[in-house]
Amino acid sequence: MIRPVTTLLVCLALAAGIARAAPPEAYAFLPLGEAWQSAQQQQKPMLLYFGRYGCTTCRKMHAEVFTDPDLRRRYSEDFVLAYVDTESGNRIRLANGERTTEMQFATRNRILGTPTFVFFSPEQKPLFKKAGFQSITQMNHYHGFIKGGHYREQTLADYSASQ
Amino acid sequence: MKPRLAALLLLALPFAVNADWRFEPPVALTPPPATGVFQHLDGAGRRHIAVAGDTVAVTWEDNRDGSPQVYARIRVTGTDDFTPTRQLSTGDEAYEPAIAALDDGRFLVAWEQDAAVYLRLLDADAMSPPLQLATGAGHATVAGGGNIAYTAWRERSDGRWFLRVARLAIEQGLSLRLESSVTVEADGLEAPLQFPALAAAGDALAIAWEDRRAGHTRLLTSFSANSGASFGQPVHLNEFFSNRNEYDKGSGVTRVALAGFAGDELLAAWMDKRRGGVGYGIYAALGAHGDGFGPNERVHGAEGDREPHYNPAVAGNEEGDFVVAWDDFRRGDSDLWLSRYDEDDSWGEDITPPIASGPGEQSHPSVALDERGDLHLLWIERADPNAPSRLFYGHGRRASD
Repeated sequence: MIRPVTTLLVCLALAAGIARAAPPEAYAFLPLGEAWQSAQQQQKPMLLYFGRYGCTTCRKMHAEVFTDPDLRRRYSEDFVLAYVDTESGNRIRLANGERTTEMQFATRNRILGTPTFVFFSPEQKPLFKKAGFQSITQMNHYHGFIKGGHYREQTLADYSASQ
Repeated sequence: MKPRLAALLLLALPFAVNADWRFEPPVALTPPPATGVFQHLDGAGRRHIAVAGDTVAVTWEDNRDGSPQVYARIRVTGTDDFTPTRQLSTGDEAYEPAIAALDDGRFLVAWEQDAAVYLRLLDADAMSPPLQLATGAGHATVAGGGNIAYTAWRERSDGRWFLRVARLAIEQGLSLRLESSVTVEADGLEAPLQFPALAAAGDALAIAWEDRRAGHTRLLTSFSANSGASFGQPVHLNEFFSNRNEYDKGSGVTRVALAGFAGDELLAAWMDKRRGGVGYGIYAALGAHGDGFGPNERVHGAEGDREPHYNPAVAGNEEGDFVVAWDDFRRGDSDLWLSRYDEDDSWGEDITPPIASGPGEQSHPSVALDERGDLHLLWIERADPNAPSRLFYGHGRRASD
């Protein structure tokens, strides 16, 4: 995880936002650059969701996890939400000045499967990455780890063991 | 189709099977890496290099002057040097060029510029004025040969997505004229179509693309037997892997590349997630104009079968040789890899060209094969994934020479 999450630090500005694939309904997912700027301005944590149009596990999570009203409220209120379509040609600009596509950004960060979620602190530091199906309980657990500020003193594994 | 292919391959045996290439030292096509300057080879169909006889032409996008623009260079027959870099694009921003070789040392380049598709015809000395083909358009690609050329692109109109193919009249010198254009399907789609690839053989034309109408991405193909005047009903290219659960619509597929070889034969290759949680594999199908495509085949070898692979490019020649190139990081950093058919009519061991592997990141290949079977290779090199980049060309002489 070290290299991909480090690489994620280069993400910055903005995407041309046409033809975006589908993040879950009733969530305010933003293009990556817009989300990054918003998170910086609001000093909020960011959830970066690498998805793929029609991906099986993404669809399962959209139907069985993201529909949970408490989860929706928690993430909508406390996080800035970013969505990257791993097969998209939508253009984004990285902090090193490079214009590339969402697909190439995902490749460079070695996103092997979807969904993959990368969680950022309010200081915009990448904290951890989770790939594959995440349950409501797990998503709430990650929310609590970051929202409660535990990430400042504990790893996610230590926090999980203490619960 | 298969026996015919096998016969062709047997005829081509001395250089098509298990024949490696002897690579000459790579040629840097852009200045040494500079902070904030990046080259890209991301065009639809990954057609960034083309060869006609001994003349090689390349096209790419970079931001050397502060904005992304499209450039080209040509290596003139009988010389070792490429012409100076020429900027083809003229707008604020330009992306994703594609190139095809024509006759008389001429090449056709298409690209996206300020949300429109443009074309230019060029040779070693000059180029035609840019011709705007479409607005609200992008993902342009080209195919052709002799004095016939086609361009395909996607465009959006009234909220619907269309694939459009144009036939171009290539006249004397660098004169270029739009002869006709049609949509592959008359009714556009609400779901996006993207990154078409194109192959032409005389009046026969094949197009493949990423299609999201089914609620996930499938690869579709369509054929024209009348010089692009009309296209047949789209058919699926990638095989369907499904039914794991109620949400499963099939494995992810993306970025199809298409090449013609040996007259009317076709090779398609793409990224395909059917292996599950290890990312994309490289899969291919062989086919022919008029026959469609055969079964899907895994291209990459066993060594890399637990690794993800990216950015496939394909090339073929009239002698019946064909090759697939891609990049992956099975050895830590990204390297280029190649594969071709062996004696058993199956994909041989993966070959990594020594000039496009090793320390640093070598990625985003584009390939062409000349009539001798020599490989012409274009790629991007950078010290690490976020470092400034440089564009390289490599010539692999057929080992049997």
